[in-house]
Amino acid sequence: MTDFDRRDFLKLVGVSAGAAAAAGCADHVESLIPYVVQPEEVTPGNAVIYASTCTECPAACGLHVRTRESRPIKLEGNPEHPVNRGKLCGRAQASVGRTYSPDRFKGPVARNEAGELEPISWDDAVARVADALRADPGKGHVLGGDPGPTAGDLVDRFVSATGLGGRTVYEPLAHEALREASRQVFGVASEPIFDLSDAHLIIDFGAEFLEDGPSTVEHAAQWAAARDVAKKEHGGARTVYVGSRLSLTASSSDEWLTAKPGTEGILALALAGVASRNGGGSLPAGVSAPSVESAAEIADVDAEAIERIGKALGHGHAVALPPAPAASSRRAVATNAAVLILNQVVGAVGTALRVPPAPTGSQPSYRETLALIEKMKSGGVNVLLVHDSNPVYSLPKAAGFEAALENVGLVVSFATSADETAAAADLILPDHAPMESWGDRAPRPGARSVVQPTFRPLYDTRALGDTLLDVGRAIGEATAARLPTGSFRSVLEEAWSDTDWRKALSEGGVFGELESADTSGGDLGRLEFAAPALSDKGEYTLLPFATGLLHDGRGANLPWLQEIPDPVTHVAWDSWAEVSLATAEKLGVEIGDLIEIQGSAEPIKVPVFPRGGIRDDVVAVPLGQGHTVGTFASREVQGLPGTARGVNVADALPPLVDEGGGRAWLTEKVALTATGEHRRLPLLQFSDNKRKRELGEVIDLADLAGNGHGDGHGDGHGEAKADAHGDEHAKADDHGSHGDGHGDGHGGGHDDHGGHEILEDFDPADDAADEALAAAYPDELSVKASPYRWGLTVDLDRCTGCSSCIVACYVENNIPMVGEDETRRVRQMAWLRIDRFVGEGEVDYPLQLNRGDYHPRPSAEKLGDTDIRNSPMMCQQCGAAPCEPVCPVIATYHNEEGLNAMIYNRCIGTRYCANNCPYKVRRFNYFDNQITKWPAPMELGLNPDVTVRGQGVMEKCNFCVQRVQTARQIAKNEGREILDGEVQTACQQTCPTDAIGFGNLRDDQSEVSKRADDPRSYYALQVLNTRPGVTYLKKVRRGKIEG
Amino acid sequence: MSPPPAMPITETTRLPAPPDSKINRDILRVMEGTSPGYWFLVALAVIGAHVAGGVWAYQVYAGLGIGGYTHPVFWGVYIVTFVFWVGIAHAGTLISAILYLFRAKWRNAINRSAEAMTVFAVLTAAQFLGIHVGRMWKSYFILPYPNQRGLWVNFKSPLMWDTFAISTYGTISIVFFYIGLIPDIAIARDRSTGIRKLIYTALALGWQGTSIQWKSHTRSVLHLSGLATPLVLSVHSVVSWDFAMSIVPGWHATIFAPYFVAGAIFSGFAMVLTVMIPVRRIYKLEAYITDYHFENMARFLLLTSMIVGYSYGTEYFIAWYSGVEPEATAFWYRAFGPYWLSTWIMIVCNCVIPMVFWYPPARTHIPTLFIVSTFINIGMWFERYVIIITSLSREYDPAVWGVYTPTLPELIILAGSFCFFAMFFLLFLKAFPVIAIAEVKELAIHEKAHGGAH
Repeated sequence: MTDFDRRDFLKLVGVSAGAAAAAGCADHVESLIPYVVQPEEVTPGNAVIYASTCTECPAACGLHVRTRESRPIKLEGNPEHPVNRGKLCGRAQASVGRTYSPDRFKGPVARNEAGELEPISWDDAVARVADALRADPGKGHVLGGDPGPTAGDLVDRFVSATGLGGRTVYEPLAHEALREASRQVFGVASEPIFDLSDAHLIIDFGAEFLEDGPSTVEHAAQWAAARDVAKKEHGGARTVYVGSRLSLTASSSDEWLTAKPGTEGILALALAGVASRNGGGSLPAGVSAPSVESAAEIADVDAEAIERIGKALGHGHAVALPPAPAASSRRAVATNAAVLILNQVVGAVGTALRVPPAPTGSQPSYRETLALIEKMKSGGVNVLLVHDSNPVYSLPKAAGFEAALENVGLVVSFATSADETAAAADLILPDHAPMESWGDRAPRPGARSVVQPTFRPLYDTRALGDTLLDVGRAIGEATAARLPTGSFRSVLEEAWSDTDWRKALSEGGVFGELESADTSGGDLGRLEFAAPALSDKGEYTLLPFATGLLHDGRGANLPWLQEIPDPVTHVAWDSWAEVSLATAEKLGVEIGDLIEIQGSAEPIKVPVFPRGGIRDDVVAVPLGQGHTVGTFASREVQGLPGTARGVNVADALPPLVDEGGGRAWLTEKVALTATGEHRRLPLLQFSDNKRKRELGEVIDLADLAGNGHGDGHGDGHGEAKADAHGDEHAKADDHGSHGDGHGDGHGGGHDDHGGHEILEDFDPADDAADEALAAAYPDELSVKASPYRWGLTVDLDRCTGCSSCIVACYVENNIPMVGEDETRRVRQMAWLRIDRFVGEGEVDYPLQLNRGDYHPRPSAEKLGDTDIRNSPMMCQQCGAAPCEPVCPVIATYHNEEGLNAMIYNRCIGTRYCANNCPYKVRRFNYFDNQITKWPAPMELGLNPDVTVRGQGVMEKCNFCVQRVQTARQIAKNEGREILDGEVQTACQQTCPTDAIGFGNLRDDQSEVSKRADDPRSYYALQVLNTRPGVTYLKKVRRGKIEG
Repeated sequence: MSPPPAMPITETTRLPAPPDSKINRDILRVMEGTSPGYWFLVALAVIGAHVAGGVWAYQVYAGLGIGGYTHPVFWGVYIVTFVFWVGIAHAGTLISAILYLFRAKWRNAINRSAEAMTVFAVLTAAQFLGIHVGRMWKSYFILPYPNQRGLWVNFKSPLMWDTFAISTYGTISIVFFYIGLIPDIAIARDRSTGIRKLIYTALALGWQGTSIQWKSHTRSVLHLSGLATPLVLSVHSVVSWDFAMSIVPGWHATIFAPYFVAGAIFSGFAMVLTVMIPVRRIYKLEAYITDYHFENMARFLLLTSMIVGYSYGTEYFIAWYSGVEPEATAFWYRAFGPYWLSTWIMIVCNCVIPMVFWYPPARTHIPTLFIVSTFINIGMWFERYVIIITSLSREYDPAVWGVYTPTLPELIILAGSFCFFAMFFLLFLKAFPVIAIAEVKELAIHEKAHGGAH
């Protein structure tokens, strides 16, 4: 053993330890593989952003698609885009999920003899379509939505080249009546474009322009700008809502005329009459305004209000928005025309309302769609090509489309993901997902917006245009000769050849001035302005309405849109029927009881949602649910494939059209019967009674204007606070404006709070942790205070409650969806929610709860009352956070930049922090939501910058700290501090009304400091002295319209 | 002290065994023989504990979501049951330590079983710390152990204090229990054979009953009593701070420490009665656990019931008098909201039913005692349910109020905790003398000398 020395021993030990370690990990090797050929523009870890266009609705907002390692993970608005100016709605935010839908077709599939889908090759698939068309092209037909101008043109060329029977454009919620009305009033069959930014008075006749209007993001931004209390005189623009239920738009209005459904046109004419007599323009020839009294009686509103608002309209600077498609009655054209006439009278035409030239190419037509169904029934269609739409779902059952498909030899669907129409198709030739597609959109004449792919298609899919070109070429050489050469992409580049294509790609499109058409050619001869006739099956008017998140149901398979509750009712994952409290009492039902709605078509059964904010004679059911296909759209995700999620209200409607052939939704008077069944609604808000607590505050315009910063809010209160401020926070002076006025402005507010002890005022830029540090080391400043204290402001006067911030937050922060059953248990993971309160509330002790004890009754909503406070609630990043001291393992702690940081790895799940959080913004992973609930390939869409949380861990908002970190790295590389505006939180970035501000409170000049220094500012539940980093600005109560 | 006279060791061991006393026979008889009924109960308890253990294992696998938690109510039946068992654990130390220091004679018949219950209740309660947390497999993070990552625990957190309070209390209880057992184990050793003899010999630590040993033993008990006395007050005070240190309306109250201690003693005594009445009857210990003991226990229950009732009254009074609306609201809903039944069960069981003890014959009427003590146990479980659940469900933001309902898995684990506790207690009956023989003998000698007057 003499030759075995210490070195040998160490070698041996080293080798055996190494071998043991190697053996230990041999069975599970994970390698980080670098790119073999590194794409030129991709740096792993850095985001690459592509400009594109949202294809979710005709508004065509510009997108900035953020991709990481070549995968699109988050959509932001394109700041250069004229429509949305960098903002997005909730549906657009969720649409990135289409790419990673578990229901995507992975290649072409055909239905075999047994009726099952089996994969086939593209060549076979194209050949099958070509063979079917070659035999009798006249019996072929194309049905679909809007694929964009170039793709639409190509479809038209394909139809003519192959000699197909025709092409029908079908949109469930098309503005056909508006187009027709515009033709009759202005002589131009186009959809007018509204600009609300300079209006003083906005009248919404049910356009729902803040939730599901013609261009929601754009109009919400204009609306917010028009009523900016700081910049506009007299508190900015006033909004009047005309309609029968307290919608999201109504909730943000100053006055609500609770008109009967369908009477908007008469009201508009009556208002036009009053305005015309009070300084407005004259009514067009041949149109006479109804008397105020008769209009008031027909619409069942106060004559005084018509008179008053009419006078206000007479002052000009007003704009009226026509009803949304879902509110179209059989007299929709007359209704729309009346609203356009009102615009004429108030002088909005040419300024707030501009009429672009009539669009070229095929336009949606419901009448043609119904005609197509008749043709199919009679065997006139042998091949039906369905693209960009889901008619089996969205057409009324009574129209018989699904039955008519039986008579069609070959039904071809181009659906990207499984839907009801694809389920009825014989052959599916899947299109790319929007993030993989080339294309374009025409938001309006003068603006062209490009859709560009952001990564290679995930599956073996093919663009609609390319498939059609392939089919045309396969039919025969003659047909091929009539079609363009090359691919769809080259067709697109050809169509854009008059522009700088590369510049268009980088900027997202070419945005010129809006073109206007001559509006003098109107002809109103044939319109009859009267209340529409409704079917007579009962005493309640069935009002279908589209919500901002679900619209017509095309996004129902995006789990975010199901998971995030309706901003008005807070119901998620289900349908509901809104009835008034009186109606509910009459029927003997309470929330969640199923009622049967019987109109002239099929009866539907819906859980009832009684509320104060709806007329007694109306039952309102949202569109968009009732899918039977789709992991999330149906109840498949709960293990119930083929079971409808909620109801499709279209099933209860007969296929009727308005005067111009557009789809009529508002056609039914229905009978309601209680069924005795009950289904607990997945409801995410307990009560709308804020019990006068400091949440969702308002201030009257008069108080704001009269008192400004200094006085009025409880005298002794203010002085005492100023003293405390001076003594205890000497360094507050460093922060300039916080010295005096600010201290008095917030906190006091209402007399209701007068009884509180005098609260210590504080500067949000200060931080309890810093003070503790200073107290611990009084003479040492070796621990340098951070230059940052991140803060957020939320302007409740701008917040409409649209919930796009919530969707953005979900997508950005990998927030898991918990599904319907867990939502019923109120275990949602939202880091940001929007509390919706009605008025100041009552401190009423006797509490009546509905069955299941999850919802109190009655709601505090009242007809005609719009004192609704939407209060977005995210982590307040308290300076003296109640959550921090109670965590036994320091999994939540205060970082030097004022954030309540979460260390997920350290959390053991005692949940004490959540109990002690007065804002209840902490969310707990009761299950392994992240992994079990996200079917493949959804995990590909996760944001790699954000940790994925597992079972048993607490989580919450952290002000998008990953974005702060990214900016910090850039700033560090450049040797500077983070600039103001360099970091935008996901919620802030998407907010259409710019209600959220974010930045460094330690910088006096930062936007967020300026916003926080406002006479309207207050802190949520300030009585608890948590010293939040979130400053709320009170909603301004502007009062009723003055005549 | 002079050294003992020199004597070969064999002489010592060959000393004639002292005549077995009646006390020895009566008390040790409990440990002898097992009836089918006994085995049935043990089987029931063991199976029950295992079923609950299985549910827990499933919960660890699936997630806490199998409980009834809802957004504002993050704590549920597990914490309720934890506090309940910690409360039960109070009787033993109180009886053994405080009443020992006060030389309350009536404690002698019950102190052993009460101490045993303390140990078992602490063990049961400790399970719930693991059952309750979201990541049980990481729950060791709560211990301040040195580690390379430089991670430390948060001594500001009441849950941290809780960890220390419970572990300290558990340690002291076990030591106290064991020290008190030594003389009795020696008696058992002397009477047993085979493997039991071996175990008792080891556990008796060579107890010979010499005066030196007795002197050390008495000293140890006295000193441990001194150590344990503050713990009786501190443990449940600390547990109450889990709630009182928060800002939850209904929790944030200065009265909580004394209120919880009184409640703990109340429930502990009730549990002693609930358990000892059947034991006394089955094993015919009427001669040792007498009316005298029951009378005193009943008085104690009456006293603590009134303290608890006063605390309830104070909570409501302050909720109203403070003028703090969220506090008042929380208390209103506590009594008249969806949890009204729990609240009224609590009030009736804890404040109304024990009033029967104002009537002296009730204090010694065994069926009454048994029924009342059972109601108190129920009432005290509901007290914790009411405090924890109703407060959490009505916090500051009315938009996110909610209603919690326990689910089956939670109730199985609750039932399992009783089985777990019963399992230990049943095994204890057969393993150790259920009454402190030495102390009873001491008292008997004392009484003989003083004419048996109380």
